[in-house]
Amino acid sequence: MITLWYGILAFMLTTYIVLDGRNFGAGILHWIVARNQNERRQVIAAIGPLWSWHEVWLVGTGGVMVMAFPRLMSASFSGCYLALILILWCLLLRGISIEVGGHMGDPLWQQFWDAIFAFSNVLLAVLFGAALGNIARGVPLAPDGTFYLPFFTNFGIRGNVGLLDWYTVPMALFCVLILTAHGATYLTMKTAGAVHERSAKLARRLWVAVIPAFVVITILTWFVRPELLEGISVRPLAWLTLLICLASVYAIVTGLRHQREHLTLLGSTFLLFGLLMTGAAALFPVMLFSTIDPKLRLTAADCAAPDSSLAIAIAWWIPALILAFSYLYIVQRYYAGKVNVSKDTQGFY
Amino acid sequence: MSTSVWLLSLSIKFGMQTSLTDPALWHRIHFGFTITYHYLFPQLTMGLVWFLVYWKWQALRTGEEKYNRAARFWARIFGLNFAVGVVTGIPMEFQFGTNWAAFSKYSGAVIGQTLAMEGMFAFFLESAFIGALIWGEKRLGPRNHFLVAVGVATGSWLSGGFILVTNAFMQHPVGYAVGSNGTLALADVWAFLLNPWALVQYAHNQCAALVTGSFVISAVGAFYALRGKHSEQARVYLNTGTLVGLVASLLVAFPTGDAQAKMVGAHQPAALAAMEGLFQGTRLADVTVIGQPNVSEQRLENPIPLPGLLSFLAYGTFQSYVRGLNEFPKDTWPDNLELLYYAFHLMITLGTIFILIMAWANWKRWRGRLESSTALLWVLMLAFPFPYIANSLGWMTAELGRQPWLVYGLFRTANGYSQVVSAGDTIFTLIGFVGLYFVLGLLFLYLTGREIYNGPHDPDPAPNPQVAPA
Ligand code: HDD
Ligand code: HEM
Ligand code: HEM
Repeated sequence: MITLWYGILAFMLTTYIVLDGRNFGAGILHWIVARNQNERRQVIAAIGPLWSWHEVWLVGTGGVMVMAFPRLMSASFSGCYLALILILWCLLLRGISIEVGGHMGDPLWQQFWDAIFAFSNVLLAVLFGAALGNIARGVPLAPDGTFYLPFFTNFGIRGNVGLLDWYTVPMALFCVLILTAHGATYLTMKTAGAVHERSAKLARRLWVAVIPAFVVITILTWFVRPELLEGISVRPLAWLTLLICLASVYAIVTGLRHQREHLTLLGSTFLLFGLLMTGAAALFPVMLFSTIDPKLRLTAADCAAPDSSLAIAIAWWIPALILAFSYLYIVQRYYAGKVNVSKDTQGFY
Repeated sequence: MSTSVWLLSLSIKFGMQTSLTDPALWHRIHFGFTITYHYLFPQLTMGLVWFLVYWKWQALRTGEEKYNRAARFWARIFGLNFAVGVVTGIPMEFQFGTNWAAFSKYSGAVIGQTLAMEGMFAFFLESAFIGALIWGEKRLGPRNHFLVAVGVATGSWLSGGFILVTNAFMQHPVGYAVGSNGTLALADVWAFLLNPWALVQYAHNQCAALVTGSFVISAVGAFYALRGKHSEQARVYLNTGTLVGLVASLLVAFPTGDAQAKMVGAHQPAALAAMEGLFQGTRLADVTVIGQPNVSEQRLENPIPLPGLLSFLAYGTFQSYVRGLNEFPKDTWPDNLELLYYAFHLMITLGTIFILIMAWANWKRWRGRLESSTALLWVLMLAFPFPYIANSLGWMTAELGRQPWLVYGLFRTANGYSQVVSAGDTIFTLIGFVGLYFVLGLLFLYLTGREIYNGPHDPDPAPNPQVAPA
């Protein structure tokens, strides 16, 4: 049961990053691919009607985390207090910029909100990347199972570490890079005209840049947390997710080469999904490593709610997930295809 | 506003007893501020959404364009309100982990269930359809657009339900078991979901949300009627708004408000005594219309009592014995008696005034003079902030009355906050939230005011000129 919920939590967090990753990427890029107000409205309309559906995955992940692993929620959220509040503020600013940016025709108003939109998305991608880095590296867990993470200490990776160090910063940058590539892929599919052309060109370049960055990150991770690579070698599930990654790379390459935009997006979605799930499988059963003493780590069993609660929750979680996807299916049908600014704008008619 | 007054009195009160560096106090203020602010928006979401459904349905049924126009206009305001509700709601969820870590660890296996269900069942539904509701009319066609409105309405009322079940567990824990390591486990999921406290609270709270919705709609109707603009729309808003307003105001008081009071009497007797400022237990206990509690002398100053009414309201007969605060150990008294007392009394006073206003409006409407009574229109136009105040006061009653417990009778607030987060960090993020929310509030008022001032589009909305190719 605990293993199952570990998987569900990983699945939900991954889905959140994959889905909202489009928004991060589009947000980071929209100053580059869109050169005038009308084009920027097009980018926002591409994210448009479903951005809050994507964001809800984060809310769902939080709910599942406190329900299934209360101790993890309690230790990690209070331990990363300032970083988390910063994430909340960025989410707030981003949501508002999407909703009110198109509300008035004034160019200054729109430029202001476009800037907020870009800024909050960059920061969000950096913070989530750093958070992933922290999960891999571990946090300064004390014997009572709590920690408090400053933004940075001495940039070392052992002992009293901070949020940012020489491992998590490259990790954050890698996250920005790959999410930008993902966003460009999404925009290529969703838009037409000049925005489409620029996004397609950028997507190709960004995916090429991902390759060396990935090699560097893998080497760093191997150095910082060798347990992870060992975890992959002994866990068949991780082989499966690695296979997904390989297939996705193939899909991206052919998709880019033959301009099959759906295939590229599919590849980029499953590449992110596969990478994150591989990470989760490699991490299992650990949820938080300690940088102070390896024995202090928190495993899934240490953090989990009692089995009875978990069993009850699985009974409603599965139908709830099916329902969630059925709404998505219904809504997606209406928004398939390229965006149309006059139909899909947030400008409220 | 009520929030800031409350913050001030709370900090002054606690500031004198403990020091400014007491983290517990700041975590409480942090949560209290952010949730009170958040709830300003969901109450209108939940109060407005069935009006949208109703108008869409009327438009389908009668084919009259005025209902579509009404739905379209209010959907725009709904969208703005909803957006602020969403962005201020996300911090709420995460504060359980950031600010109330010990509480999450202790009760996560139980309250996490409804928090997760809220996300999975309610928010997914709401957020899938909200985009389609606000800017999908052209893509969807009238019938699907109506169904989308029903989806959003169901989602928002479900989310209110789940969050109230969570709160009801904190007020009156049921269906749990205490595990071997001292934390809670869920023992009986149906007992937990169908907590009698939750049912009553839900009924009361949802009626209260409808009160907010109908007052806001009536206020806009009155504004247009007074300015002599959009008269067809003004009539639609005033008619629907005052009718629903009367029904909802009555329901808020009776039976739901009455049932709330009885439940508090049954399960939180110390809270009831504090709400009424009753220090000595007695039969024939009074309800004081006016009076100020004096905690150090343990009595009410200059009370104007209605004899026996409290006994009657809480337990059904005038002779029932109502226990006073003195009968409870002092460390189980709610810790801000004065504020609790004022919040409760002001809520009831406002509830009574709402009934009177709406009764007046309905009488005029029945006589066919609704749009010509200038005095009434002025009252309706200016009354809309008060349901917000009453809702906030109601929550203050519930949450202050629950003190000093976080989970009533099981877990104290003083043990619930995040030990690792210092008072300084909390004050810093609180200031951040206050600043952001202030700006957000200005933005919301400006944009909503602008929508209302511009008014509903007259026949056949033109495509948005702002986004036409430059
Ligand atoms: C009785 C009503 C009620 C109460 C007491 C609360 N909320 Fe709320 N909340 C809603 C009713 C609501 C709503 C009407 O359903 C909203 C308004 C806009 C929306 O998206 O849903 C909402 C939004 C909303 C969202 C955004 C959902 C989205 O992205 O669509 C979150 C995460 C929360 N709330 C979480 C909370 C938490 C953790 C609360 C208390 C601790 C809380 N809310 C109190
Ligand atoms: C179901 C939803 C709610 C939950 C789960 C909830 C939970 C909490 C928690 C954990 C605290 C901090 C601990 C404490 O001081 O007791 C708190 C305090 C508070 N909440 Fe709520 N709350 C809910 C709804 C609301 C709403 C809707 C409002 C107001 C609009 C509100 C107003 C307050 C206030 C004013 C405090 C501070 C009380 C004090 O510190 O004395 N709550 N609530
Ligand atoms: C007129 C008679 C009213 C009575 C007798 C009444 C009764 C109560 C009681 C006893 C509580 C506290 C429940 C607890 O401690 O948990 C409460 C809470 C509350 N009241 Fe009222 N109330 C009245 C009017 C109103 C009005 C007019 C509004 C707003 C429009 C309102 C909104 C609320 C809200 C939002 C809460 C907190 C949430 C809840 O517990 O449902 N009430 N009410």
